[in-house]
This record gives sequence, C-alpha cells and structure tokens, in this order.
Amino acid sequence: MRIAPVALAAAMAVAAGPVAAEDPGTTAAEKPQVYGDTPEELVPYGRFTEPYKTFFLEPNEYRGYGRELAEPKQVDSVRIGFLGPIESTVSVATGGASHEEPLGVMMLHGAELAIEHANARGGYRPRAVPYELVVRNDNGLWGSSGNEIVDLAYNAKVWAILGTIDGANSHIAIRVALKAEVPMMNTGDTDPTFIETRIPWVCRNITDDRQMSYALAEYVYGTLGFKRVAALRANNRYGRISIDEFRDASTRLGHPFLAELNYPLGATDFSPQLERIKALKPDAVITWGDAAESALILSQMRAMGMNQLFIGSDRMATAEFLETVGPDPGPVVAGYPYDPTSTDPAHTAFVKAFADRFGGPPDAYAAHAYDGMAQLIDAIEKAGLNRALIRDELMSVKAWHGVTGEKTYDAVCSNRSPALLALIENGGWVFRHLDEVHGDS
Amino acid sequence: MTSLNTSRRCKSTRRLPGGLVFAVLVACLPLTVVVSNAHGEAPGDEAAPFVYTLWETFYAEEGGLPNDHIFALRADGDRLWVGTENGLALYHGGTWKSWGEKDGLPWRVVSAIAVSAKTGDVWLGLFGGGLARFSGGRFDHFNQFNSGLVNDVVYGVAVLDDTVWVATTAGMNALNTVTGEWEIYTEKNAPMEEIWCYSVDAADGKVFAAVWGGGILEWDVATRRWNAHRDPDREMEIDLYRDDGLIHIITTSASYVDGVLWASTYFGLSRYDGRHWRGWMDHDSGLASNFINFTVGRSATSSVNATDLGLSVLVDFASDTWVSYRRDAEDAATWSAHVWTGADELATIATNLDLPNHFVIAAEIQGDDVWIGTGHGLARGRGVGYYDGVRPPASAAEPQGDTP
Repeated sequence: MRIAPVALAAAMAVAAGPVAAEDPGTTAAEKPQVYGDTPEELVPYGRFTEPYKTFFLEPNEYRGYGRELAEPKQVDSVRIGFLGPIESTVSVATGGASHEEPLGVMMLHGAELAIEHANARGGYRPRAVPYELVVRNDNGLWGSSGNEIVDLAYNAKVWAILGTIDGANSHIAIRVALKAEVPMMNTGDTDPTFIETRIPWVCRNITDDRQMSYALAEYVYGTLGFKRVAALRANNRYGRISIDEFRDASTRLGHPFLAELNYPLGATDFSPQLERIKALKPDAVITWGDAAESALILSQMRAMGMNQLFIGSDRMATAEFLETVGPDPGPVVAGYPYDPTSTDPAHTAFVKAFADRFGGPPDAYAAHAYDGMAQLIDAIEKAGLNRALIRDELMSVKAWHGVTGEKTYDAVCSNRSPALLALIENGGWVFRHLDEVHGDS
Repeated sequence: MTSLNTSRRCKSTRRLPGGLVFAVLVACLPLTVVVSNAHGEAPGDEAAPFVYTLWETFYAEEGGLPNDHIFALRADGDRLWVGTENGLALYHGGTWKSWGEKDGLPWRVVSAIAVSAKTGDVWLGLFGGGLARFSGGRFDHFNQFNSGLVNDVVYGVAVLDDTVWVATTAGMNALNTVTGEWEIYTEKNAPMEEIWCYSVDAADGKVFAAVWGGGILEWDVATRRWNAHRDPDREMEIDLYRDDGLIHIITTSASYVDGVLWASTYFGLSRYDGRHWRGWMDHDSGLASNFINFTVGRSATSSVNATDLGLSVLVDFASDTWVSYRRDAEDAATWSAHVWTGADELATIATNLDLPNHFVIAAEIQGDDVWIGTGHGLARGRGVGYYDGVRPPASAAEPQGDTP
C-alpha cells in the first residue's frame, strides 16, 4: 500500500525543517574556536605551536552581484538540478568501475521523494507551480561533473543543485557552481576537504569522514586502548583522502600506522597485503573503501586466522557486506553518519514512504538526499527565485531537524553532527553513539 | 584641486620606510587630504603610491559589451579582449565589437583569453565549451570529441611561443600549434595531487599552473620538468607559519613576471622569487580579502589582485604598500581607495568608481591603466600620471617624468 503523498507530506512537514527556535544571528557569538569540532589532542601541530592562521571559523560570504535580480515573471516549473552517479558508465575518477552507481540511485530516489512531497503540498508555494528535478549523471570520465553543472546552470537554468558522491566529481562540480553562481547542497560526499575550499555556494548535510574518523579513533585508541593499527585501503581518491583524518589522529595520539597498504579497485585477492600486515601483529586493521572489497578483506583475514578488530568506513555498513562475511564475522566497527534505526517520527515516516514508493528501504544516501532536497526547497520558498538569495537562506540555517535527525551546521555550512559507530551484533548492524559504547566497554 | 575627506585609523609609523614617513604624517595629521587633481594621484605631494581615482565604467545596456558578467580580460597592445558570460568583446580606440554564438563563437561563456604574440591568434577558454581559436575573423573549435583537449571546462589559457597551454577542470593541455600535437598532463605524468587546473600563465621559458587542491605547478620548457609548490604544513584548515611557502593548496591563479611568481588563493596571496616565499592575508596587510579570484603581476614588486571585497594592489613590495579599492558601505555611491602600509591603514581617498558591487572576478593591466571585471560591469582605472612604487619625498626624489 502506498501512503497518500499529501497526508504524508503534511506529517513530515511538521517533523522536518529548520529547528524552530534557531536564530541564525545567535550563532555568531558561539563561534567555534576549533574547526571541525576537532578534539584538542587531534588539532594539527597542536602539541607544538599555534598556527599563524586558522581557517573556516568564519562564514563564507558571497559578496557578488545577483541579489538585485528580479524573479522571472513566468515560470512553468521550479527546476532543481540533481547530479549523481546513476548510470553504469566507466569512471576513471572512481578507479575504473561504476561501483558508486547503487549509491547514486538511492540518492536520486531520496531527492525524487522530497520533490514529490513538495509538489503534493502545492509545489512552489508563492506561485503554486511544481518543482521539477533535472537529473544528470556524473559517472563518466573525470570532469564530466563539470560539464553537467555547466549544462544545469546555463541550459537547464536550475535554481539550485543537489549532488554528488565521488570526492573528485564533487570538487569539480563546486568549482563550476562557484563560477556559475548556483547554490549546491551536497548529501553524499564525506571527503573532509570538500568543504575546506571557501566556496560560498556550497553546503553539506552528511557527517563527513573527519567526524567519523574522530569517533573511530576515540573508540579504538581510547575505549579499547589499542596501539597497533595497520591500514589496507582502496587506491582511489576515496581511499587515499578519506583515511587521512584517522591516520593523522593515530599519529597525533602516538600510534602511527604500522603500515598503510593499498589495493586496486575491483581486487579480489588481498592475501599479499594481509600476509605483510599479519606479520606486524596489529591490534586492529582498518580499511577505507567500498562494501564489496571491505567484506572480502575481512573474510580473508578471518580465513588467515587474523581475528583482530576490523575497522572501516560508512560504505562498509551495508547488507551486502553482511551477506559476504556471514553472521559472525568477529569484531567489526565502522563510522556512520546517522542512526538508520531511529524511531524519530520524521524518520519512520520517511522509511515507510520510501519503501512504499521504491519497494525497499532507504540507505544513508537516500535519507540525506531527502533531507538535502527538503532544505533546498525550504530555502527556495523563503528566498524566491533568485540564486544568490537562495544561497543566503541555505547558509543561514544553523540547525535542521530532518529524517536523518538533528543536523548542526558549522560556520562554513558543513554538518558537524557527531558520527555514530556501526557495529555488528547478532548478525546485524547496530548503531551506537560513542558514549554508549564507552559504557558497554 | 579636490579636497577629500579621509576616514582613517592612523597607527604607528615606526615600521615604515623612510620614504613613506612624511607621507603618513601628511595623511594623518589633518582629516583632509589634498590631491593634486581629480585623475588620481598621490594622496599628497610626498612619498605615496599612485592611486586610481578616475575610472570609466562599461555596461551592456550602453551597447558594446555583450554581457555584464565579466569572466576574463586580456590586454593586447592598446586593445582589450573581454570574456563574458554571454559572448566575447573587443575594446579598441574607444569603440566596442562583440561576438556571440550567432557569430560563430562555439559557446557563449568565455572564461579565459590569451593572444599569441607570434601570430596574433586569440585563444579562448570556453567554460564548458572547450577551446576556440579566433583568427582571421573565424572561430575554430577544439573540444573533448574532436581534439586532444582533456576537458571542455576550461579555466585558463596561455600562449608561450608556439604552444598553447590550457588549464581545464581535469588536467592540463599543451597544444603545439605548428605540429598540431596535443600533450595531456594529469596525475599520470605530472605531480598533480589533484588535477583541477584553475589558471595558467607562461613567460620566459616557464609555465605556471594554479591547481585547485594541488598548489602551483611549474613547468620548465627547456628541461621539460615539473616542479610542484605546495603548502608546507599540508593542512587545509591552517596556515602554520607565515612565509614558509605557498599559503594554501587551493590556488586560483598564477602570474609570472620578471622572474617572480604571484599566486592567489582563497586564503591569501603568495609571492615567490625563486628562493623566498612571502604571504599576505587580510589581517596582516592591506589586502582587502583573502578570497582572491585572480592575480596579475605588474612587476616583481607589484601585483593587482581581484578579491571578493574589491581590488587590492600591492604597489610596492619593499615597503609593503597597498592600495585597496572597494565600496565602504552597501549604499555608498562610489568606491574608496584605502592606502595601507603593512597592517596600518594610512588614508582613505575617494574615487569616482561606481560599479554596483566589489566582487572583482578579473583584472588586467594595460600600460598605466588597470581594468577590472565584476559580476555586473567592467571598469578601467585611468593611470594619468601613473608611477611605479611609492614616490619618495621631494628632497630625495628623482625626476618623475610626467608625474605632477
């Protein structure tokens, strides 16, 4: 049975949106003195000196032209762009495979659902015209995302864009958005450097690898008291960049990696790397890559008698991973951007609506895309059809209660909600806040 | 003679070079600075930088410019090429000519321009449309499908001898215009930590590429070797030490002149003389904002910087003298010029520049004049009586030619 969109949209509208009491102006006085909620002991060079300059503590202002432009007199629809890996093309950017396509399709579904719900509420309310999602694929050669953003900005004339997942494509896309002056909401790229570019047109609502690494580091080195960690990561940009924060945290806590090895995307035999790692006698092994390879690494570790804690990224915390590793894979932990088992009414309504619409449960990419699109629509409703004003509205939100829970934005519009830990218990993933696992341990 | 009010916070002059002390005293003691004429001269008769106070503005509605959103400027002798969001324009002898897609321009958004000194060909970077050569009244189009161009999103173009260098969002190209051979540079064959090239400049046997997330790459034509300049602290969220190297790896443009590299970032400005780095931010200098869209060097000691808070000119490296031009308030009728030495503001001087906002995207030097392009309009600062650096006190001054 499918839930009537109007009724559901009305229910979710009550539960989701900017936090009512939030006054963007009040946050200035609460300016963080440490970027990214970085724990004191993990601040770069923090043991040695104060930096000459710390960035990203102030909002990224847009001081250009555009706010003066009048809203067009005639629009048949309010176009919002979508950019994501949704077609099975070969991507050099992602290492020669289309492994992000399933994530991109889920992201698209989340965005579609948000558009449908907005239209069920009457569309763009000031004019009662429907929202229209203009969908583009970014899963091509490096740089294709740039071409697509140009097309969205100049030909499709979208008012804002949601996307994307791959770190390289996301960086390319936001540089184009900066020049074309189009607001972008990113809901799927966890690369910490994505937001560290000072582009005033960009927001990100998904908890990034910085936050997930901090949670993992505290769990591994604090809660568990481990000291010897070895890494085996994907050799693509995702593996190279996203493990940075955990590696740096390890070093700053006095436990540099015993080794950091990599594997080519699509690899199936990890025994050469695992033999080397096994000889180092680590307390734990960390990987940063996709679910398929992560699962194979873990299976082969266990087959080799390596029973150490296996640490991974959020992309590992999937049903696909569990199918490969079986019900009792030993100790496993991953970072995760939100609680997909939340009983928050907004979340449960979304899960049901998504399943009714698409025939299966949502994942993190779908849920964050839903929230991101809802936030874009909210900004458009408030700002009107003017890209610069939509940008202003987007940047003014400091807290947002969506289907993925409470999102808290920092000065540069990056969500800094604490990451969760995903652990395997009784054959399934469970999601815990760090303080919960402290108690368990 | 024009009397101009100044609003200033005069600070200590103890760090100033001798040549500037008197100028500072002149500027600080009275609340009115007398300038010699309305064209834009020094804020007094003593040591001071040249200040552009006389500006001309150009808008599409006046005819000429095809669009007010300016992306690229390139001086070619007494001609100025202008790349806009909707067409190419040429300003020469006080008249405009423009080209759009209906005239054969392959794509309307012109994001970069370079002129071959050897052939006169004009090379156009097209934002999402590839590369075009404008020669003999004809546009030739190069893109990912019909040439070796690595990507159609082109941010920068430079010509050095027979080679056209192209900075794209997915790597660099070198097109040999004699043989027609394309070379592609990416992370596979160049020290690119990332491949997102934002700008390219070439002169004196060197090519410099500003690579977003990859710092500055230097190509030596003679040795065919790359050299990478990166932020030594290797951290995105901090600059650990001043002057330890490139300020940040998110670079936006490079300009190479008189053996000195100027590199702009969204975190400040860097200068490299081949041995020493120097950095400037908005809290330690007259730089109006750390967010620099573009830099162009006038010389080894002076650069013009397009920031999101106006135009910042480092007039004299030795004395750290700056002039920054911006609107002081949203409703200000005109821009003001702010004269700084180091972090000390010395004077504020009125100008007649009335562009509606000071988010400067492009800048170019043409003789004594300076051009700036914004999201809504183009302007030329007239360098009547222009002089380099700071003018020393009269007692120590060399003859200044036509300087009043």
